[in-house]
Amino acid sequence: MSTQRALLSDLVTRYRAGHNSGPFFYRRLYMRKSTSKGNFNQTLAPLLFLMPNMLIFLLFIIIPAVKGLRMSFMKWSIFETPQFIGLANFKELLKDDVFWITFRNTIVFSVFTVFFLIVCSLALAMLLSRNSIRGEKAFRAVFYIPSLISMIAVGIAWRFILGDEMGIINYIIRRMGGTGIKWLTDGKLAMASVIFVTVWAGAGYYMVIFISGLQAIPKELYEAAVIDGSSSWNTFWKITMPLLRSTLLVVLVLSTIASFKAYELIVTMTKGGPGYATKFIVQQVYQVAFTEDRLGYASAMSMILMLIIGVFTAVQFAISGKEQDYE
Amino acid sequence: MKRITGILCIMFLAAGMIFANGAKESASGKDVTLTVLWFNDANESDVFKSTIQDYLTANPNVKLDLQVVAFNDYEQKLKLMISGGNPPDLARLTTAQIVTFMDTLEPLDSYTNIAQVKKDFMPAMLAYGINSKGQVCAYPTEATANGMIVNKTAWNKAGIDVKTLSKTWTWDQWEEAAKKVLKANDKVKYGLAVDFTPHRFSTIMYEMGGRFLSADQKKVELNNPGTINAINMFKKYHDEGLIPQSVWLGSENPAEMFQAGIVACHIGGSWNINQYAKNVKDFEWCVVSTPKGTINSSVPGGKFIAAFKDGKNKAAAMKLMAAFSDKAHNEKYCLGTSNLSSRQDAAIKYPANSDDFAVFQKDLAATPAFTAGEWRDPRVAKLSATIKEQIVQVLMGKESAEDAVKNVDAKGAAF
Repeated sequence: MSTQRALLSDLVTRYRAGHNSGPFFYRRLYMRKSTSKGNFNQTLAPLLFLMPNMLIFLLFIIIPAVKGLRMSFMKWSIFETPQFIGLANFKELLKDDVFWITFRNTIVFSVFTVFFLIVCSLALAMLLSRNSIRGEKAFRAVFYIPSLISMIAVGIAWRFILGDEMGIINYIIRRMGGTGIKWLTDGKLAMASVIFVTVWAGAGYYMVIFISGLQAIPKELYEAAVIDGSSSWNTFWKITMPLLRSTLLVVLVLSTIASFKAYELIVTMTKGGPGYATKFIVQQVYQVAFTEDRLGYASAMSMILMLIIGVFTAVQFAISGKEQDYE
Repeated sequence: MKRITGILCIMFLAAGMIFANGAKESASGKDVTLTVLWFNDANESDVFKSTIQDYLTANPNVKLDLQVVAFNDYEQKLKLMISGGNPPDLARLTTAQIVTFMDTLEPLDSYTNIAQVKKDFMPAMLAYGINSKGQVCAYPTEATANGMIVNKTAWNKAGIDVKTLSKTWTWDQWEEAAKKVLKANDKVKYGLAVDFTPHRFSTIMYEMGGRFLSADQKKVELNNPGTINAINMFKKYHDEGLIPQSVWLGSENPAEMFQAGIVACHIGGSWNINQYAKNVKDFEWCVVSTPKGTINSSVPGGKFIAAFKDGKNKAAAMKLMAAFSDKAHNEKYCLGTSNLSSRQDAAIKYPANSDDFAVFQKDLAATPAFTAGEWRDPRVAKLSATIKEQIVQVLMGKESAEDAVKNVDAKGAAF
């Protein structure tokens, strides 16, 4: 068994070395050549092509983020003159119990959602990328369609399905003699329901990304593994996963960011309840900004959220890079 | 010569006045498109358009750009339009929103006979639209009231004449009777559903002698025996299964539950009459007075129409609002939307449910004036989400009513 693993690792390493040294080597050569030449096509043209995107990024991301940072140091109501108050908003945040409840909820939701999203979407991708099932493309469409539906519609639809008194599932349970389940009235079940629906709605999207990653892995590697007598489990961990790492990182980062920003689905499905059970930071930010009219304080919350997402993403990149170096 | 000079002067002045008037007419007659921001509870935007159509026909230079926005996005959109320096010419506002936007609204005083406006409209309704300088800034379009709607068929099945009982009933009597109704009806699972809003909860709170603000309305003060009793009674009914947990804990729609016939009573707004008249076919329903606590009370509310200080067509907007708010137009609008009128002189003959509207109107008349003062206070609007969350914490058994009201008061002190 250990010989098999060593053989597979060697195969993957050799493939990667070859893969990286080929195009990358020529790309570097080309880059060196282009900088030395320095003509318009190779220096200014790419920048001009990037300009519209950079401009949009600057206008809609960088400038609002800087303004948001500035607002977080202000006492700011929409109809009043802003007033600089230093770190007062952040000090208040430290003592704000509701903020820390929403913070904890966000982390719990994010960890479980991302985990199940990756597991489910990868499983679906593996199942639907081998040409082994009849109607594979139709199944792909079936699993992908939920990701095209607005999260508001998804939330409303699932509220009709999971509602305690008026929900379809509980109606069926009661018709069969049961008493119904408190899907959205019990705090833990409500959190589980929200995670389940988020995974249901998002798995198809990440499945497509995984399928493209899986299809990029050369079939020769799998054939070699079969010849070497590798088990499916071993092939998955020694060939599929290492060569899928960059795709996995993309899915991990995208799904983590999306889970931290979850709002529409939660508001339509549970309104953050029962109590604070499914209330996340984004909903709290919205409430503080637009119901309580405390834009400065809400900006301080947003800054914390941005920081958390940034830290998570950096950690994910760091772990991924470290593992890559290891091999 | 003097006489001729005098005559010439008079003729000159008269001609000047005539031409000046002509110019004014011409200026007021120029084409104008009024942007109207609107949200719908039911069919209000359609009724608004049909109500004002005769004014638009008589004034062909006035056009409407009616923008109907989903209620959940409405306030944010309006805030962004105002803060961006581009408010609509007119906007429909709720009682909570009128408080939020009060400083941005154009007072009516310099455009109309304000004494007549004060005479025409219910003082409790008009009070919502009065700014800190005492100027009226909005016309109330329709009045709403909170009240109790009951499944009359279910009550009849339990042998209870709910119309008669409700004339004098207290909450204890309601509880006793509601339990009988549940026993007599297999399908009816709960005694009462209350909309998941602090506004509807405040109906019970005011009846129990509670309030959101201190008596002088200077500070947020939920920490009073009436409010605490109301929260505790609300929790007791939840714990006993008289009120379904799925509304305040699971965000289910109480109106849908009432229409499905699984609750015996619903504390909701007067606008439900319209919806129930259309949708409920399986059983008879009617509106009854809410049971008495220490007092009888409803909660006054309504919708308003207002123009903005930074609006580009203020004069034309004011003229259209005045026309829309006169007796004939107001009656037509309230009839079409099945709402109570906000005018004192209105006499609307509804095609159906006239008795139900009358009960709401009667409850509204018995409502203490301070309730309107509370609901026009910006602190109550800002705290509404917190109040709701704290009540739910009590219902879940995570906090006592005493702690919940203290938490709200502490937060209110910061506003």
